[in-house]
Amino acid sequence: MRQNALHLKFLIFTFLFLGITILFYQIFILKTPIRENQVDNLWTIDAKISFEVKGTRAVNIEFFLPAKTNDYQVSDEIFLANNYGQNIINQDENRMVIWSARALSGKQSIFYRTNIIRKLNGETIQTKGEIYRQSIVVTNENEKNAIDRLTKEIRSKSSNTSTFITTAINLINDSSNGDVKLLLKGNNSTNNKIKILEVILSQAHIPIQQVHTLILERSDNQTPKQWIRSYIESTPNKGSWQYFNPIDSSTNMPENELIWWIGENPLLNIKNGVNERVSFSIDQSELTAIELSKLAAGDNNLKKYSFYTLPITTQFAYQTMLMIPFGVLVILILRNIIGINSLGTFTPVLIALAFRETGLGFGILFFSIVVSIGLLLRSYLEHLKLQMLPRLSIVLTFVVCIIIFVGLLSHKLGFEQGLSITLFPMVILTMTIERLSITWDERGANFALKVAFGTMIAASLAFLVMGYPPFVYFVFTFPAILLILVSFMLAMGRYRGYRLFELFRFKAMAK
Amino acid sequence: MFSLIKIWKNLKKNGVMGINQRNADYILKYNQRKFYPLVDDKILTKQKAVEANISAPELYAIISNEHDIANFGKIVKDINDFVIKPARGSGGDGIIVISEHFGEDRFKTVSGKILHISEIEYQLSNIITGLYSLGGERDSAIIEYRVKPDPIFKSISHEGVPDLRVIVLKGYPIMAMLRLPTRQSGGKANLHQGAIGVGIDLKTGTTLNGTWGNEPIESHPDTSTIVKGIKLPMWNEFLRLATSCYELVHLGYIGVDLVLDEKKGPMILEINARPGLNIQIANNVGLYLRAHEVEKRLKDLEAKEIKESISERIEFCTSKLY
Repeated sequence: MRQNALHLKFLIFTFLFLGITILFYQIFILKTPIRENQVDNLWTIDAKISFEVKGTRAVNIEFFLPAKTNDYQVSDEIFLANNYGQNIINQDENRMVIWSARALSGKQSIFYRTNIIRKLNGETIQTKGEIYRQSIVVTNENEKNAIDRLTKEIRSKSSNTSTFITTAINLINDSSNGDVKLLLKGNNSTNNKIKILEVILSQAHIPIQQVHTLILERSDNQTPKQWIRSYIESTPNKGSWQYFNPIDSSTNMPENELIWWIGENPLLNIKNGVNERVSFSIDQSELTAIELSKLAAGDNNLKKYSFYTLPITTQFAYQTMLMIPFGVLVILILRNIIGINSLGTFTPVLIALAFRETGLGFGILFFSIVVSIGLLLRSYLEHLKLQMLPRLSIVLTFVVCIIIFVGLLSHKLGFEQGLSITLFPMVILTMTIERLSITWDERGANFALKVAFGTMIAASLAFLVMGYPPFVYFVFTFPAILLILVSFMLAMGRYRGYRLFELFRFKAMAK
Repeated sequence: MFSLIKIWKNLKKNGVMGINQRNADYILKYNQRKFYPLVDDKILTKQKAVEANISAPELYAIISNEHDIANFGKIVKDINDFVIKPARGSGGDGIIVISEHFGEDRFKTVSGKILHISEIEYQLSNIITGLYSLGGERDSAIIEYRVKPDPIFKSISHEGVPDLRVIVLKGYPIMAMLRLPTRQSGGKANLHQGAIGVGIDLKTGTTLNGTWGNEPIESHPDTSTIVKGIKLPMWNEFLRLATSCYELVHLGYIGVDLVLDEKKGPMILEINARPGLNIQIANNVGLYLRAHEVEKRLKDLEAKEIKESISERIEFCTSKLY
């Protein structure tokens, strides 16, 4: 007996531990949303690539796709490039698609659409960058002197790598500075500024990279925005990428910017094409957490086994099934802790399932009507002294008739719910009638009514628990909670305290 | 809320056994499933009792198929009064009590109703097809000796046969209760049908106060007679029968139902593997209080490797449990 108790405790704690661990893993590591109504945005980005081919020639197109270094992830993407061979190349942080065709002529366009969502688990790919580079040698004497002067000025105004870069950016954007004017040679494009910046920073051995982003907001015809970034070590071997705006030297990249690609290569590179153009248009839609997790599924091994990857009808069936143990839990608590009498253990759960079709109020009304009529019929049949099986068959047949009759009647009266009960579990009703009338015979009308009432209470409560949407979402998303449930049920198996109603039953003895 | 906690604590203090505790600590622990058929089937119980020389109503015949029903007239030809009951029935349903033959083909029941033999045959057929066995399984009908209750119960019962319920834990009779039919219970000695339960002092076999439903009472609701202070005759024989049922069915926690026949004395009627808890109210003593004493005793004896005989066990209970 004692060994048995130990065994049970072990089981309880194992299940509890497993359940809680998996639950915490899902909530805190995978960052699965706890509530369904946590909404987030889904961004649809369309990129239209157009170009012209002079004559008939073989064409090779290189186009960057959204980079992997993002707080966002691609949930799906579509390529509309029918006549091309397509090859997607994964680089360290960039993704690139290469389309190729042997013989093309005239105006061409290619279409790329992607859906972007925020990463649920917040993991971003961390890459390490260079922290040292060789100085770029400048041959022109005037330019060399200008750069030396600028570098000196920057050094005097900065204290570390990060401020060195921001000071350099501020200087390069100072149009009144003569040295800067000399270096820019009248070309004030961001591209040119970044090029000069790179030269200046290289004198201090600071490597930089170009970053091209899209701003996530509803827009047509957006052109990528340029940033620069540098890998800065705060302590040896531990550092991070810092992003700098090359125009206003701000250092924090806004959350709504999506890194499309990194590096100085152009977004689009077409061999044998002219007049190439890329236009981005961005649209936004709202998604609930469930839809988000659906979209996020597939990029992660664990999520591959989530229920959200199943076909939608199967999902609904599983949702219902997963809730049944909680209905049973309600019955367990009502019977063993409260002490409510109900017909059988699982009958109330089955009735609760039937309520899903009819709704609670109508379900209770309908159930009461059918059971009362059935009981009358059963007590009439009692006089005929029929055997059980024929008797049950007759009751079942009448139950079907009553269901159809009540359904038609309520339809005539304008209650549409009446028609929803076609599949109201007739066998459950029949068995309920049968068992109720046996209880009636054996233990009297009082007790039978008490049992019927208890069954209705239990069924209603089970229905409410099984149908509460946030809870359904929670169980469906975190099925590990079933393990916790099992450990509770195991513990209940050895519960030997009084039931609430027994306190009233034995009240006379509490002196 | 506060008063509920107080009730809980007091019940605990008084050793009142709840359903959960009875199921987990007694029925599940001491009653092995494989021995249940011995008490569920009254034929098996009776056969066992006869083998063990325990007094039970004499079995006249078993009717288990249609062929036997045809022979019914022949079987009861020389028996004046008898009882017909389903072997696996419960709650006293389907029982016919015949007090005498009435002419050639008719019988008279205890309540004075005249039944034609064909009506009885129909009832037998109902029993056999499982009308009264829960779950509707095929059953057999028993024809047995009709118990005539001792006149001592006359003043405190209404019709029917009063019976004595004894709770036996591992062969130790720990609590007893007299169950008296009332008008409401329709002559049946079933507490939840309205019969009253009267506690019994284990040492002397004298009745105490009673319970009707969950209410403590002092007098019989139909006759208004005070139920307290009636000394049961042959009390030791009752205890001996109940106690020896442990060896009979090997179930550690049972309720033994006994009757007192005016001629044949105490006999066992049936054994229940899930006895109810209202016996505590009737005796105004918590079952756990007594069960715990017995469990302690058993532990001591086990350490000394002693097994007590029936009379030693009765001696322990009558001297220690009250």
